[in-house]
Amino acid sequence: MPIQLTSQAYCKMLLHAAKYPHCAVNGLLVAEKTKEKKKDSHADPVLCVDCVPLFHGTLALAPMLEVALTLIDTWCKENNYIIAAYYQANERTKDSRPNQFAEKVAARISENFSEAAIVMVDSGRLTMSCFEPIVFIYDHHENKWKCREVTVECFEDWSEAQKITSSLLEGRSYENLIDFDNHLDDLRNDWTNPVINKSVLDLC
Amino acid sequence: MASVAEMYDVGWEEMRDKLRKWREDNCRNSEQIVDVGEELISDHASKLGDDIWIIYEQVMIAALDCSRDDLALTCLQELRKQFPDSHRVKRLTGMRLEALERYDEASKHYDAILQDDPTNTAARKRKISILKAQGKSTEAIRELNEYLEQFVGDQEAWHELSELYINEHDYGKAAFCLEELMMTNPHNHLYCEQYAEVKYTQGGLENLELSRKYFAQALRLNNRNMRALFGLYMSASHIAASPKVSAKVKKDNMKYAAWAATQINRAYKLAGRGTKENKCSMKAVEEMLESMQITMS
Repeated sequence: MPIQLTSQAYCKMLLHAAKYPHCAVNGLLVAEKTKEKKKDSHADPVLCVDCVPLFHGTLALAPMLEVALTLIDTWCKENNYIIAAYYQANERTKDSRPNQFAEKVAARISENFSEAAIVMVDSGRLTMSCFEPIVFIYDHHENKWKCREVTVECFEDWSEAQKITSSLLEGRSYENLIDFDNHLDDLRNDWTNPVINKSVLDLC
Repeated sequence: MASVAEMYDVGWEEMRDKLRKWREDNCRNSEQIVDVGEELISDHASKLGDDIWIIYEQVMIAALDCSRDDLALTCLQELRKQFPDSHRVKRLTGMRLEALERYDEASKHYDAILQDDPTNTAARKRKISILKAQGKSTEAIRELNEYLEQFVGDQEAWHELSELYINEHDYGKAAFCLEELMMTNPHNHLYCEQYAEVKYTQGGLENLELSRKYFAQALRLNNRNMRALFGLYMSASHIAASPKVSAKVKKDNMKYAAWAATQINRAYKLAGRGTKENKCSMKAVEEMLESMQITMS
């Protein structure tokens, strides 16, 4: 089951990358938990409705990642979500391949969601106009992570996603994006980003 | 478009002070620095006195971050006029070349500085940054190690090296770098906490116990460090859950974990006062702590 992105999920990922252009960033994508799978549902895409930005800077340390995964898992249960994918933007804009750490996190997510994907953000192509999707989606096939071709089919509504992301980037909304690191710095910072979510809704 | 002064209702002195604070804290909020600095320079240059040179330097570097080569060049030219033979200004020229990805030219530029002054640490560090930017992590690590043999007290360099090692998943060597930093900065809670995170990531019972001790130490140095608090909770919980520990160790660690859990809950309650949104976070934390307790017992 390939994953699909809503405008909210896509734009929050890009806002996170834009907020910390000089750092690596990562986060999680969540999907709504569906009821019993129909027999022929393996062609249906999994819609990632939201994104939780996690860290910026040094990503490859375990303890805070474990805290974040557990906390977000609990939040997911409350909202009938499931963690469906992991995204990462590398520190160097020329490097957009998933590294060992990304694969480890994705493997961990796969324990609860067998079709977990890795989404790599190609920050080298990040522009204000967002005229093309700048993500690479990797699926796990036969023990390897293979890159899937990204088309507008990977989005619930690409032109809406493009419009909203571009608008929020120009308005510098990324200054107000909260990631888990910001939350650990000050617990009052809300990693569910209700303010940005509202901006997205207003633009829909 | 409204000026910064208009938007935030500040005068030039506040703008100048803000820039100074960002310099002192070594913040990399380049967009803001460019906004404030550009306006300060164009509208109030005459009032700044000798401060203007360091502001030119700060704004120039921020401009490079924001791809504002026009602004960077303006600042650089002013600095070149004022300090024609300065190595410090030459380093800025090199940084501009780096920003334009003309790495070979930049490297030659730094080599020229080093020929003139072999002890110029800034030029050496820029050369290492070029290796990092080109993705040559192994070479960067090697050069940085050589550098540190000569300049053993350079904390920024030790920290950079620890990060390079973490990215290569060489946690043992990263820990060594952080040990150096902790020795020279025993009161710095951030180094303690980072060391604890590295030890935790390394894994194994011994490292877990060390990590718990250093999370505790970080908390002693700063009882508001949430990462240290969470880290203490996680490491103590994992130790208590390990089949290899004695009953006493298990009991002690469950006590530490329980204490940490209370403190975490308290911190969230304090933060959540008056805000609806935080109820979600708080509930998630409570449930997380409960669920971990269940798996521990």
